Amino acid sequence: MSATTPSNYRTAATAGIASPRLQKSLHGLQNRFGKGAMEIWATMTDQEMRRRVKDARMNTFAHLDIILAELAKNVRTRGGQVHFAATAQDAIAYTLAVAKRHKVNRVVKGKSMTSMEINIDPVLEDAGIEVVETDLGEYIIQLAGDKPSHIIAPCIHLDRNQIGELFEEKLGIDYTNDPPTLTMAARRALREKMLTAEMGLTGCNLACAETGHISLVSNEGNIRMTTTMPPVLVALMGMERVVATLDEHREALQLLTQAAALQKLSTYVSFLGGPAAEDDPDGPKEFHLVIIDNGRSKILADPEFREVLACIRCGACLNICPVYGKIGGHAYNSPYCGPIGGVVTPLLDGINKHADLCKGETLCGACKDICPVENDLPRMLAALRHKLAYGSDLWNTSQHSPAEAYVYSFWKIVIGNPRFFRLMLRTGRFLQRPFVRKNKMVRKMLGFAGGWTKGRDLPPLARQTFAELWKEKYAATRPNPIEGQNEEGN
Amino acid sequence: MDSQTAFMRNIRQSLGLAPDTERPKRLFPALFAKADTALILQDIENRTTEQQNELVEILQANALALGVNISIAGSHDEAAAIVVDLVRTKNPEFTHTKHIVHHDHPDLATLQLWKRFSREGITVHTSFSADQQLREKTIASFIGITAADIGVADSATFIQLTQPGRPRSTSLVPSIHIAFLKKEHLVADLREAYALLREKERLDSFVFITGPSKTADIEAQMVHGAHGPREVHLIVLSPPPIEKDVRETQNLQHTEEQQPNS
Ligand code: SF4
Repeated sequence: MSATTPSNYRTAATAGIASPRLQKSLHGLQNRFGKGAMEIWATMTDQEMRRRVKDARMNTFAHLDIILAELAKNVRTRGGQVHFAATAQDAIAYTLAVAKRHKVNRVVKGKSMTSMEINIDPVLEDAGIEVVETDLGEYIIQLAGDKPSHIIAPCIHLDRNQIGELFEEKLGIDYTNDPPTLTMAARRALREKMLTAEMGLTGCNLACAETGHISLVSNEGNIRMTTTMPPVLVALMGMERVVATLDEHREALQLLTQAAALQKLSTYVSFLGGPAAEDDPDGPKEFHLVIIDNGRSKILADPEFREVLACIRCGACLNICPVYGKIGGHAYNSPYCGPIGGVVTPLLDGINKHADLCKGETLCGACKDICPVENDLPRMLAALRHKLAYGSDLWNTSQHSPAEAYVYSFWKIVIGNPRFFRLMLRTGRFLQRPFVRKNKMVRKMLGFAGGWTKGRDLPPLARQTFAELWKEKYAATRPNPIEGQNEEGN
Repeated sequence: MDSQTAFMRNIRQSLGLAPDTERPKRLFPALFAKADTALILQDIENRTTEQQNELVEILQANALALGVNISIAGSHDEAAAIVVDLVRTKNPEFTHTKHIVHHDHPDLATLQLWKRFSREGITVHTSFSADQQLREKTIASFIGITAADIGVADSATFIQLTQPGRPRSTSLVPSIHIAFLKKEHLVADLREAYALLREKERLDSFVFITGPSKTADIEAQMVHGAHGPREVHLIVLSPPPIEKDVRETQNLQHTEEQQPNS
């Protein structure tokens, strides 16, 4: 779909690191939003809130059948239509059928990650339907034929000059790199589209089962336009994007807008749960809610990963992750990037296929600290690595690198046996000699080990280990005789 | 319904339950247990004028920080004057003629906007549900005027419920949104607002509005007016004037007057 994005983790990551523009934006983003969210959590008076929301989310999952049934019932009572889609194909087919039934020529989309996940745009376009993204960032990405690189700030990898050139070419305006002028140009172009589209297509941030609403947050107002002006509305929601009660909704919403953009509330939070009532002067005549599984029930079934469904897609973990902060979003090759993408992309789309993602993250734990629902992403990243190391029938995962497995089983023997270990060290010191360069670093290793030195130099094995140094210099002077004895024993 | 049956079956299976045994909601009363909001509602009910004025001050500070132009009107006439001034001085963004549209709401009807521009080329529309041309009129309008159902001081939010004569587009499509808020509809925070929402008989479509439409998608630079109104004016209808010194003297007078009675 995209010509500019290398699909390979390493090449995309290398390209990201090499781009000063991207580095600058990522730095700015993390500095502001990453730090800001951590500060909000630290100073929040209600320190129990995050835990409470997480517990409520997990409780919802344990009763998901009941809660989704309640949501569907309440939406239907209002005259909305609810479709349960087991797969992406199912959701696409349903949406396409709605569009065809109404002879839709143009669809306007309010930012929806789920629509990207199921990749519905090409299918609609093949059916001759114009698909227009309405979130400014998404619109820019669409005009550029590019891919989003952040959950909340999709075009963070483009600068004002590039966007200026793009608008000059695609919208036929005079070149400018002034953000307000560019925004106004998009405002005019998109207003036209939103007022004339026959169908709106949105996602859903949080549905509330008790009242039968979906709710959508936005700052731009595009979502309100998309849900108000076209006569037909289709909302796509992942089946986990639901809370039971209004009370739970409020707390989850507050965490979402704070974590995503440090706002007490986003500019707009729209609630709707059906077509416009008879006596309503505006709003969609038809409302469809498509509740999508597409691999989520498999995550639900695995206690090791169920927690990841609690994610409210705030993007905060991207704003703190040291790896995302360097390589950017394109390397993840998925609508879900950053630490959350590292966990959820493999689970939804194949662990082997996306093996690089969990391996690339450092397990530093920052994403867990910042996550509004305290998702233990590092634990799950490690669990994914475990699946890759040993294979997993449940997840249809094969051992990723048998050679690596051999090395580690050998390593296990070595470190379990001190004499063997010391022998290894001595051999290593001898063998490394030809590789140590003038700067006293190993520049390049051979074969299998070559990957280690591809992007960095490695310090050589020291001439003496710490234990050897200690023994030589200090062991004799240790005052405590008992511990001294222990040292000897070693 | 078939898609639903298979879907639910699959969920129950994933949860390790018997896939074909439906779980009725009545067996899980805790799941949808209503939070006890009686105390919250009582708090809102019993708020003194003093406390309400304090909330107005909080709202003012928060609104300013968000770029909302907020003014306090002591009477409907004062409020109307503010609107008239805005209509006269602001310029349309997408058209050359001045149309404005306002909700079919008693508080807005008392402003009598329809007769205030009789000698100017300004057209005033009311968003009557029965009006077949309402959509066109709204698109043609550069100012939309609504009356908020609930205001939230803590986040400077106002909540609009879609109702007959009160469409969603009035606060969305015109470039400038003017919202009226009666002081007694102002609550402290979202918790109180949700408690009030729960009490509404008909909770259909509604929206929280917090500031003007904005975007920061181009190099993280904040720009107002992405797709919704680029300007928001909030007029708080607060019958006794709330400027501090005036209020204090008023309170004094109040107590003086009361003393002989008590
Ligand atoms: S994992 Fe947590 S921090 Fe990351 S997007 Fe989801 S909710 Fe936000």
